[in-house]
Amino acid sequence: MTYTGQCLCGGVTLAISGEPIGARQCWCRQCQQIAAGGPTHNAMFKSEDVEIAGKLASGTWTASSGNTLTFHFCPSCGNQIYAQSSARRHLKTVRLGVLDQPHGLRPEIVIWTDDAPDWAMIDPLLESWPQQPPAPTPTPAA
Amino acid sequence: MSEPHTGHCLCGQVSYTIAAEPVGARTCWCRDCQYIASGSATVNVLFPEDAVAFSGRLGRLRSTADSGNTVERGFCPDCGSQIFSRTAEPAGQPIRIRAGTLDNREIMPPSAIIWAASAPSWAVFDPALPCHAQGPNSELMEHKQ
Repeated sequence: MTYTGQCLCGGVTLAISGEPIGARQCWCRQCQQIAAGGPTHNAMFKSEDVEIAGKLASGTWTASSGNTLTFHFCPSCGNQIYAQSSARRHLKTVRLGVLDQPHGLRPEIVIWTDDAPDWAMIDPLLESWPQQPPAPTPTPAA
Repeated sequence: MSEPHTGHCLCGQVSYTIAAEPVGARTCWCRDCQYIASGSATVNVLFPEDAVAFSGRLGRLRSTADSGNTVERGFCPDCGSQIFSRTAEPAGQPIRIRAGTLDNREIMPPSAIIWAASAPSWAVFDPALPCHAQGPNSELMEHKQ
């Protein structure tokens, strides 16, 4: 297994069998609400590579693109586990906080900086986008 | 902006009003907070606990934090948004409201970083803020260059 993880209370566990196609930090207002004030950190994996055990709850919001974003969380502790866009069902966007450390993943791109509060600390060396960037493209198979 | 301060979760099921001004604000990189905050630090604005009135159903998770204190974290069971953290034992500490749920996130910017020793290598710290290795009374760390 490439990555493993769990939520804070242990009710949900993850086993991931591949590498992500990318990892991002998102400052959209919705992410700040679910992430206790900071941005979410997300690694995008192929859906079929992500196995999740345990009970999940979910909610949705409509992204500015018009796509429906479904977010899945543990109903026992509220931890966000992953999200999925209606436009990209082949990807699961896993929240970095639930992966067992050390996992070596780190944000490569920062998105939705327009929504960040004045006190946000954003790495100036990372590629950043004021809103939604173009859809990710899968890395060609080695 | 003056009190009462207000806030709500992502789905709106939980809301609150706060009849006091904040007594502090800080970011926390303890491992529990990274779970709660989708890989980030939590950003917390501190208020006297008796000034905060919640409405809606709250989920609560009680556990022993890295500090050794018994901490209760409150969240919305319908959307998972983290709402607060309070110290059950020892009593008398301010309640920590998660800044993401405040209607005005600019009430008070963070003035300290705590549990910095647990932060991932890519975390970015404001060099102007005191950076504690563990809890708010722990030793200060040097900022990364």
